[in-house]
Amino acid sequence: MTNSFSRREMLRLSACGAFGASMSRWLPAFADEAAKSPARRKSVILLWMTGGPPQTDTFDMKPGHVNGGQFKPIDTSVPGIQVCEHLPGVAKLMEHCVPIRSMSTKEGDHTRGTYLMRTGNLPTGPIHYPTMGSLLSKELGAETADLPNFVAVAPYTQFSPGAYGPGFLGPRYAPLVVGDGNRVGPGAAGMNYDQSLGVKNLELTAGINNYRADARLALLGDLEADFVSQRPGLVADSHREAYAAAVRMMRSEAVKAFQLDSEPDKLRDAYGRNQFGQACLLARRLVERGVPFVEVSLNGVANNQTFAWDTHQQNFTAVKGLLGVLDPAWATLMSDLKDRGLLDSTLIVWMGEFGRTPKINPQTGRDHFPAAWTTVLAGGGIKGGQVVGKTSGDGMKVDDRPVSVQDLFSTMCHVLGLDPMKQNLSNVGRPIRLADPTSKPISEIL
Amino acid sequence: MSALRHWAVFLCFCSSLVGFSGVGQAVRADDAAELAVRIDRHLESRWKSDGIKSAAAADDGEFLRRVSLHITGTIPTVSESRKFLRDDSAGKRAVLVAELLESPQYLTNFSNFWRQVMMPEGNTDLQARAQLPGFEAWLRQHLSKNSRYDVIVRELLTVPLDTGRAMASPVDGMGTATPLGFFQSKQVKPENLAAATSRMFLGLRIECAQCHDHPQDVWKRQQFWEYAAFFAGIERVDRNEEFVGRVKEIFDRRELKIPDLDGDRVVQATFLDGSSPQWRTRVSSRRELADWITSKKNPFFARTTVNRLWAHLFGVGFVNPVDDFSGTNKPSHPELLDEIAADFAEHNFDLKYLIRAITLTRAYQLSSRRSDSSQDQPQQFARMTVQGLTGEQLFDSLATAVGFFEPARQQNAFVFGQAGPRTDFLELFAPDNNAVTERQTSILQALALMNGEFTSNATSLERSSTLAAIAEFPLMKDSDRIEAMYLAALTRKPRAEELERLTKYVDAGGPSKNSKAALADIFWALLNSSEFLFNH
Repeated sequence: MTNSFSRREMLRLSACGAFGASMSRWLPAFADEAAKSPARRKSVILLWMTGGPPQTDTFDMKPGHVNGGQFKPIDTSVPGIQVCEHLPGVAKLMEHCVPIRSMSTKEGDHTRGTYLMRTGNLPTGPIHYPTMGSLLSKELGAETADLPNFVAVAPYTQFSPGAYGPGFLGPRYAPLVVGDGNRVGPGAAGMNYDQSLGVKNLELTAGINNYRADARLALLGDLEADFVSQRPGLVADSHREAYAAAVRMMRSEAVKAFQLDSEPDKLRDAYGRNQFGQACLLARRLVERGVPFVEVSLNGVANNQTFAWDTHQQNFTAVKGLLGVLDPAWATLMSDLKDRGLLDSTLIVWMGEFGRTPKINPQTGRDHFPAAWTTVLAGGGIKGGQVVGKTSGDGMKVDDRPVSVQDLFSTMCHVLGLDPMKQNLSNVGRPIRLADPTSKPISEIL
Repeated sequence: MSALRHWAVFLCFCSSLVGFSGVGQAVRADDAAELAVRIDRHLESRWKSDGIKSAAAADDGEFLRRVSLHITGTIPTVSESRKFLRDDSAGKRAVLVAELLESPQYLTNFSNFWRQVMMPEGNTDLQARAQLPGFEAWLRQHLSKNSRYDVIVRELLTVPLDTGRAMASPVDGMGTATPLGFFQSKQVKPENLAAATSRMFLGLRIECAQCHDHPQDVWKRQQFWEYAAFFAGIERVDRNEEFVGRVKEIFDRRELKIPDLDGDRVVQATFLDGSSPQWRTRVSSRRELADWITSKKNPFFARTTVNRLWAHLFGVGFVNPVDDFSGTNKPSHPELLDEIAADFAEHNFDLKYLIRAITLTRAYQLSSRRSDSSQDQPQQFARMTVQGLTGEQLFDSLATAVGFFEPARQQNAFVFGQAGPRTDFLELFAPDNNAVTERQTSILQALALMNGEFTSNATSLERSSTLAAIAEFPLMKDSDRIEAMYLAALTRKPRAEELERLTKYVDAGGPSKNSKAALADIFWALLNSSEFLFNH
């Protein structure tokens, strides 16, 4: 059986070789087909704002109040909705977006807040909750896809490593990680993005050609056949599946999604020539090829002295720099998806682990603030162009329609056509639902 | 049945079994062998009544590899393997186990093991990570003296917290041997400490009762908070959100308010069996709790420890998950577990004694090869399970197999800013929280093993010491070279048909038409095989 696996892979190799030449003409047609296919399931792109972005300087402006700070609001494509002047691109596409201005959580610590927002749960006791991408891609993805179902670009995992992993779902649902996310400070912008956005270890070792790779896989196949036939079980099965998937990916045409240089220069420029911008472009290329969950982290920009969005000092200088990277990337992502007919099937989620204090501290900074803050949903077929919830004039509390993290998870499930009551068995033997039974989706945007 | 009665009945049952007279008795060498015989007798009688046919005995190579991974966390070297396989003395397996337990690798492997038990937060929480070097150093000190397990736990639970300085900041006192990280990782909160200590040391998951009476179990919300009240004296001095900072302890404070409950119900520190200690003034209530937890009269302490080590060695415990003893999750072999637990307590909670006894059983020394479908029930222990390796085990085994020595290896691979092949591996192969018998492989892991720098170097004739030595040594026949690679990676010699097939491959030189390259191909396949990547 294992021998036939390697033979099958060899056949696949020759089939792929035939495709290689016509790649440039084949791609656009591929995108069209992807959009038309009625069976297509929805995808998610999570734009993760490491450190916690300030709601009052982005989507919940407080003009005229001392907490409002230095930035001015601007009108958007939707009458009555205003956003920050440094989000002009997103403002023009507001009809696709829903700022949820009434996020209200209870964690103001990076580690715990990150865990809460990314898994939907607080880190409690022995249960290892899966990160959102693992949880949702398990439901949305196909087991034998050429590309992994969950790709994470440049995650900064140091705050809370458990919040970035598959938890009790196991490594089969772990993200394929590309990009360099764990550097902090000025280097965090990831200058070497063209290289780092590729998949590690995807290339055969130098000096090993395809024939030799096949010979090695055949030798491995013999060893496996001997071992596994006498020791059937989950561990060995998982080994075979992972190797098969890895070989599939190595030899797949779809892996060209990671080659950004095949995109027109003009489009690449529009996304922004930085890691985050190019990662958003990569996200589009992956979604186009059916990857159901891609997350892209914005951990910092060149020349910014603060760590990511954690702007305890010099908030306005830092946020202006961050928005200068965020806005073109996000706006281009939305218009690019729209042009390809993919925006309605791709839910974009913009969020961090919490918001920031409306009150400006003596260092012109804003501190951690989970009580009343903003996340944004866009695309995915939601009823865009409206605002959910309302905060008080000083931004200190939610005045209307508080939304919990579980409400957000439940809403995402509904947008994606998933049953939030679906259960997974956790590592402690207790079933855990996609979203808590007490949660309520934001029905007005569905 | 009420919790109180439940516990009391258990205590009576157990004390009659244990017979607490033998305190302080010296451990005789053959006690372990004698316990092993009793364990086997028990398992075998169960096999008989359940119609189970056990697997064949593991051969020497299988046993050597398995027990080395379990005790030292790595596979044996080629020369160790050759020596053991050549040895034909009757008691060589027992001698091997005794030697492995005295090796420095035992200390490294088991300080990591107990750290995972006591400070699992270190895998995921940044602040807890910073405490790992000190915590593991503390464990290592104890393990190197073979401290009694009850002594280790008592010291952990009673360590003075009021040290007059910040308890833990990421850069403070790094590497100083101290168990303080345990408290820091639980944020010194009574409820977290209650949940953690009852789970780790008693196998009781009372934490669900933190918020409500446990639906399926006997634990009530009040009991949880009464237990938590033993930690009620701990108080944070600095109310910093991010770090625990300085801590003081008020010894005589033994009561706690149940949060968010109408009418401010205050509960007093009470043991889970409903009893209370004879309070002494100016003595931390943690001391009373520690004495009660680690008492030989407390059946749960020894049972949980035995179950943990059994699960480490067999891949499955009598109770699974290993820290979830409850009325609805009964042990597979309750009498046997109690018998081993009683014996362990009687032998002063000697961890090495317990490991020796279990590894000497015929059950532990069964092959993982399936010869009958009745062996598929892992909790019959009639065939060895296939177990995933931890990142540490995998990296150290790879290093052993390929002859790699990392210069100045860091004690703790998770310290900020350190990089190196081992760190990369530990990140990539971080524990997936599944039982070892359900460990799964990820695509990135597969890619790293197939094409990663480490494997590439290991299978490079220029850069791999093992491969170079094998391929270049002039006086070896190809069959000898293949045998050496098998010993290096799999701790066994190739079977006749493997040798025949692979000798032909080397003779023809594989696709490269080069016999040395063909040897590299074989080594690559060996290092990527399930037989190498798992313990079995």
